Amino acid sequence: MPGIDESLLEAMRLPGARGALVVDWISGLALGAVGEAPGGDAEATAAETAELARQAMESSTLAPAVDGAGSAGKDRPAEDLILTSADSYHLLRFVVTTFDSTVFLYLWLDRADGNLALARIRLADMADRLVLG
Amino acid sequence: MTTAPCTDGSAPDLLGTLAADHATGALSTHSGIFYLAAGHVVHVESAHSPDLGDLLTRSGAVAPAGWWEAVQRAGALHRVGRQLVDSGRLSTGALELCHLGALFDAAYFALAHDGTALRFRPGVAHWLGAVRPVPVATVLRESRRRRDLLHRIWPDPAVDTAPLRRAAGADPAELPPRRGRTLALVDGGRTAAQIASALACRTFHTLVELRRLAADGLVTPAPPPPATPVHSVPETDGAAWDEPDTALLRRLLDALEAL
Repeated sequence: MPGIDESLLEAMRLPGARGALVVDWISGLALGAVGEAPGGDAEATAAETAELARQAMESSTLAPAVDGAGSAGKDRPAEDLILTSADSYHLLRFVVTTFDSTVFLYLWLDRADGNLALARIRLADMADRLVLG
Repeated sequence: MTTAPCTDGSAPDLLGTLAADHATGALSTHSGIFYLAAGHVVHVESAHSPDLGDLLTRSGAVAPAGWWEAVQRAGALHRVGRQLVDSGRLSTGALELCHLGALFDAAYFALAHDGTALRFRPGVAHWLGAVRPVPVATVLRESRRRRDLLHRIWPDPAVDTAPLRRAAGADPAELPPRRGRTLALVDGGRTAAQIASALACRTFHTLVELRRLAADGLVTPAPPPPATPVHSVPETDGAAWDEPDTALLRRLLDALEAL
C-alpha cells in the first residue's frame, strides 16, 4: 500500500522523470519531494504550481457541464494540468480524497525522454492508489 | 536543558534547541502542544484547529466506531495511526495526507497566538504514534510562510478570530465551491474556527478562503458586541468601529500591490 514517498518514487520510474512532489494547493506546501526541482528549489516550485492549481480549481468557466459530470462536476472542475516548455513537461494531477484535502501530484519530465500520454495515465493511477490503497 | 519542566522562552527557539538535542516529549504553548520524537515533530494539537479524528470521522472517511475502536485497541501502545492502516480502514497515503494536513494546521495556531513556550514534558508520546515525522525547521518555516500568505491576501488579522458578517448581496453560488461553502456559513455570529469545524475543514485553509472573501469585500469582522457600553472612549464603540479600519486597510492593500 503506497504512502507519499512510495508514490513519488514510483513516479520517478517513468521515462524522463526529473522530479516529483506532493503539494497542497491552498497553502502551497510541499508534503513530499523526490528528485530535482525546476530552478533547484522544491519549495518555490510547490508554491508556484499551487497557484496554477488553485486558478484551475477555481475556474467556473472551464469546469465540466453539470449535465455531463453530475454533482461531482462543480467540486471537481479539473483533473490534471499539463504545461509544456521547450525542454520540459510539467504534469499536475489532483488527488481526490473523502476527507478535507487539497493536494496534487506534480511530475517534472524531460521533454526529450518523457512520454506525456503514458505519464498522464500513470500519474492518475498513482493519485488514485495513494488514497485508496 | 531539555528536561526543564518550565520555561519562558519563545516556542520557536525552544523547538530549535529540542531538535538539536534529538529530544522526545511534549512542548506546550498557550494555544497548542508539539509532540517530538528524536528531535522531529510527530504531531501537533491545537484547540483552534480540528484534530485528525475530527477530520476523518466528520468527513465520513472513517466511521466514528472504527476510529474509536482503533484508539481503544492501540492508543496505549501509541500506534493508533498504524492500527487504522493495518485494520484496512485507511490507506497509508490517506493517513499521511490527513495527518500532515492536521499537523501543519495545528502548528500554525500553536505558534501564532502566542509564541511563548510554557512547559516541556520529556518522554511524553502522542497516542497516534509516528506517521510521518517532520523536521522542526520545516514546521517553523511553514508557519512563518503561512502568516505571510494570509497577510498578502488581506492584511486584517481580525478576520481570523472575530465573529464574521456577510456583506449585503454576497452570493455563495457565484463563488468557487470551497469559498462558496465557507461564505454560506458566515452568519454574523460564527468565527473562522467555528466555520472550519462546521465544514470539517482545516482551519488555516478556511482562513485563506475567509481572507479572500474579505479582500473581495464579501465578509467583514463583526463589530464588538454592544453589551459593553464604554462611554469613556466614544470613538471606538458602535457601528463606526470597522469603517475607518476597512478604509485604512484598503489603502494599505493598494499601496502593497503598487510595490
